[in-house]
Amino acid sequence: MKFTHQWLLDHLDTSLSPVELGERLTMAGLELESLVDRATGLDKVQVGALIDVGKHPDADRLTVCKVRVGTENLTIVCGAKNHKKGDKVAVARVGAQLPNGMKIKRGKIRGQVSEGMLCSTAELGITESAEGILILPPETEEGIGIIEALSLNDHTFEVDLTPNRGDCLGVRGIARDLGAILDVPVKSMHTEVAVDPTVAERYPVEIRIDDGEGCPRYSGRVIEGVKIGPSPEWLVQRLEAVGLRSINNVVDITNYILLDLNQPLHAFDLDTLNLPIIVRCATENEKITLLDEQEYTLTPEMTLISDTKRPLALAGIMGGLQSGVTDSTVNILLESAYFDPIRVTRAGRRLNLLSDSRFRFERGTDPEGITTAIDRATNLLIEVAGGTAGPIILIDAGTWNKPKPLPFDPDLIRQRGGVDLSNDQMIGMLQRLGCEQLDDGRFQPPSHRHDLRLQEDLLEEVVRVYGYDRVKTVLPTVTVSAPAPDPITERGISCRRIFTGYGYFEVVNYAFIDPSLQKQFDPDITPLTLMNPISEEQSVMRTKLVCGLVETAQRNLSRGNNQLNLFEIGHVFLKQPDNTIQEEERLGGLISGPIGPRAWHSAQIDVDFFDLKGDLQGLFAALRTPGIRFATGGPDFLHPGRKAEIFSPRPGAPMGWIGQLHPAIQEKMGLSQPAYIFELNMEGLRNQAKTNPNAPMISPFPAVERDFAFVVAESVTAQEIITTIRKVSPKLIQHVVLFDVYTGDNLDQGKKSLAIGVFLQSESKTLSEEDVQPVAEKIISRVTSQFDAQLRGG
Amino acid sequence: MREELERLKTDALNNISEADSLQALEQIRVQTLGKKGALTQLLRGLGKVSAEERPALGVLANEIKTAFNASLAERRDILKASALNSKLADEALDISLPGRQPNEGGVHPITRALSEINAVFGRMGFEVATGPEIETDWFNFEALNIPPDHPAREMHDTFYLPTEPDEPKQVLRTHTSPVQIRVMENRQPPLRVIAPGKVFRCDSDITHTPMFHQVEGFAVDEDIHFGHLKGLLETFLIRFFERDLPVRFRPSFFPFTEPSAEVDMGCLFCNSKGCRICKGNGWLEVLGCGMIHPNVLTNVGIDKSRYSGYAFGMGVERLAMLKYGINDLRTFFENDTRFLSKYAVSGI
Repeated sequence: MKFTHQWLLDHLDTSLSPVELGERLTMAGLELESLVDRATGLDKVQVGALIDVGKHPDADRLTVCKVRVGTENLTIVCGAKNHKKGDKVAVARVGAQLPNGMKIKRGKIRGQVSEGMLCSTAELGITESAEGILILPPETEEGIGIIEALSLNDHTFEVDLTPNRGDCLGVRGIARDLGAILDVPVKSMHTEVAVDPTVAERYPVEIRIDDGEGCPRYSGRVIEGVKIGPSPEWLVQRLEAVGLRSINNVVDITNYILLDLNQPLHAFDLDTLNLPIIVRCATENEKITLLDEQEYTLTPEMTLISDTKRPLALAGIMGGLQSGVTDSTVNILLESAYFDPIRVTRAGRRLNLLSDSRFRFERGTDPEGITTAIDRATNLLIEVAGGTAGPIILIDAGTWNKPKPLPFDPDLIRQRGGVDLSNDQMIGMLQRLGCEQLDDGRFQPPSHRHDLRLQEDLLEEVVRVYGYDRVKTVLPTVTVSAPAPDPITERGISCRRIFTGYGYFEVVNYAFIDPSLQKQFDPDITPLTLMNPISEEQSVMRTKLVCGLVETAQRNLSRGNNQLNLFEIGHVFLKQPDNTIQEEERLGGLISGPIGPRAWHSAQIDVDFFDLKGDLQGLFAALRTPGIRFATGGPDFLHPGRKAEIFSPRPGAPMGWIGQLHPAIQEKMGLSQPAYIFELNMEGLRNQAKTNPNAPMISPFPAVERDFAFVVAESVTAQEIITTIRKVSPKLIQHVVLFDVYTGDNLDQGKKSLAIGVFLQSESKTLSEEDVQPVAEKIISRVTSQFDAQLRGG
Repeated sequence: MREELERLKTDALNNISEADSLQALEQIRVQTLGKKGALTQLLRGLGKVSAEERPALGVLANEIKTAFNASLAERRDILKASALNSKLADEALDISLPGRQPNEGGVHPITRALSEINAVFGRMGFEVATGPEIETDWFNFEALNIPPDHPAREMHDTFYLPTEPDEPKQVLRTHTSPVQIRVMENRQPPLRVIAPGKVFRCDSDITHTPMFHQVEGFAVDEDIHFGHLKGLLETFLIRFFERDLPVRFRPSFFPFTEPSAEVDMGCLFCNSKGCRICKGNGWLEVLGCGMIHPNVLTNVGIDKSRYSGYAFGMGVERLAMLKYGINDLRTFFENDTRFLSKYAVSGI
């Protein structure tokens, strides 16, 4: 919402400066977005007369002008085409710095001396763009400053209004609210119209409301014999100051009233109408061409203003193309109505049609104010376009209500609002806002405040008028409690601590991804598709974190970041067979490139499967979640020989996978080096360390290590052998390590040698050879028989 | 004999003091005290000496032996120390070479900011709650006093998911306020909860990403008033930004609070003097808040005559940008490791 300081002063007497007013507006909840001094940069711009316009000798497009500014004559080179001898123009003198920052200097343009610049409205900061320079009316006094000539000694305010404050979408509404805060009444308005009753005899207009829900109140007035023409300067300047272009006197007045009183008006060319006027629901598929020259197809929930033959306007949104005012219009029917906010919202949304009118009706205009607005508009219209006013034709469908009276509970306001005010002080504040106290103590909100619906709304109004900044700041007194921490947050914290400690960076990727990416990694799952995505690339909900991780890796690699250790914790979204949506929190990770930074102390080695697997095993160990297994298997987008499925201790429950990104997909996705990835369901990752009551006994006796080397077929997994060895003596065997895997020259084809260290330790004594030997023999016999293994080096 | 002993002593002690290595020293010991050593030989010849001379010579020989051994030990210590020193000198490192560092890692700056926010509220007795990112229309809007045709829905730019006509509408949550509803539906006051998480709005430009993070917080108890909310949030901002800041509350509008307020803090970059970042007015808008709307309390079955509450919401990216000096919102989601390495912190 834009307005000027002078405009505001039309409605409110205040000596506060524009800056102070802006501050008050912000603190009243009408947030000041910008405050522009319209005179800034214009102190050295004056009105001049063109006493001669000649061609530039060396440039076809330029003119050399002789300009008289008061008693001085200047030579100025100008690039515009719209000026001629005798015109009054705006001259920026040498030394001026215009609102757009341009500094005017004496100089030569293509060899001709130029002592200033002839300005356009854009250069003066009056409009955003302009064609040609500004030609002032011939009667403009020569030599005066442009600030005076164009009444630019003013400030433009722009306030950002919240949707509940539709009542402030007019300058008078702003003045009313400021007045309540400053305790200054708004000025009265001239709304007495000299009505000529004979107009109604000559132009009997009947209006009927068939759609009382969509249009609770409608008023119209005939104005006979108007003369369509340009608007007077004051009107043009007011509209331009808030960014509107002048069209003609009648349209300008309707726009002016919209901005001034927050009441959209419409002017019909009376002579084009086939009376009566009927306000009705549109019929299904009815069509109308509006002022934007677009044809719209309507539905019955939209309200139309029509005559007996055709629709004239889409209620509350936009007028029709064929019934509006033209240059030849003589008699007009002025409309000022109250349309239902919800119906206007629905129609506007359905047609995707925005207008200043819709914006206001949607937020709720003043149903009681429609006649005030039409009276005010009538007076201004007659002033600028002539004509004779007929009486108001007011139709009330009886379908609207004043806001309900609200209970007034001063104690509640003091207690919840934290304000220290007497009842009388509060009553005064509410009355200043236009609320009326009824005999029973309740308050009747004014008809323009649709947002006052509950006693808490009165509370807010009191605190707002009092000033939020004056409410005493205190810390709450609370009853101490120590609720259990949120397990989902806690497990996230644990995983983040561990992975960042391992040298991983956490990434955050978008939850919506490209459908082709989703298909690449989850061809069998149909993702959830957004109905209104930002773009195709962000149109489906991710079903795996890996999609984003691989994309992030690709982006980093293309930027030359080739050492990647990344993890992410986030939701994936899965549609269930019964159409419900399952959200699952996952942990995913990706590593790629060298193990560490390039350094003097070690050769650069690239990460492989076991770096990632080791980090996962480290995670499981740190979280004390034993029994998680890696088994052959895993999704198709992984290297077939370098992948595993991960199973939780719960029998048969898969919780994720790990592996090398399939080289074909790696290439397809433009990754310049191999990447190893995993993804786990976070369900299985609750930190058990915190809740483990059985702390293991730490034996004070020394451990004995025995090493074995077995030659087995390549198909035998190390894990199977280790499990078998553990079972030999779970009591004595503390742990088993695989410290070498060898295939090669000394071994038969298809065989490998596994070197395994076994640590034995007793809780009750130092182990002797006699204790260890039988265990070692049992290990050898079990492994050799079970896996057809040979003990190496006997 | 006496002269020979004296000469031997002088020679041997001289030799010891001149020995420049442990081997040389050992050689002197062998030459003097070894089986064929000079002193050993002389002592053997002691038997041939007259009985009167013998005790005196014997004493002398022993003195020489003791002196020799003492000198030898002393010299050995010196030589050993010097041998060790020269070995250690050879082992000297260029300590300017860089150490073997583990890979650097860290949580994303969003997580960092979230955990710093959680920490401040945690110290003030707030617990953390989470909820789903896909919500029904009820939790995201209606329960929060935003009916279907409310203009406030347009402030939200909601992403919709396809739903069957008879099913509740599903949306990507536009704020984490639905968690407030979920908690209040299941528990009774007193409540002090913050709800961090991802939120989604159909908006994408330099200052908007379609996904971002929010922390919603609320408290419901007896005798809560607007001044408490001011106190709480002022304290939060001062602790989170780790400095004293002016904070102001100004009226605003949210459908789920009444009264509602926007919270501004003094600009960090110009100390409220006015700069590009605060658009010249010295204030930065950082939070929205208000007293929980009575309709919301009614919707979740909390007795509004007995209890009142306040709620607040903040954008995590915005707070992170202000606190850590990140100037482009979009970089959060590019996850460039150079960016992460600059703004991430290890552990949380």
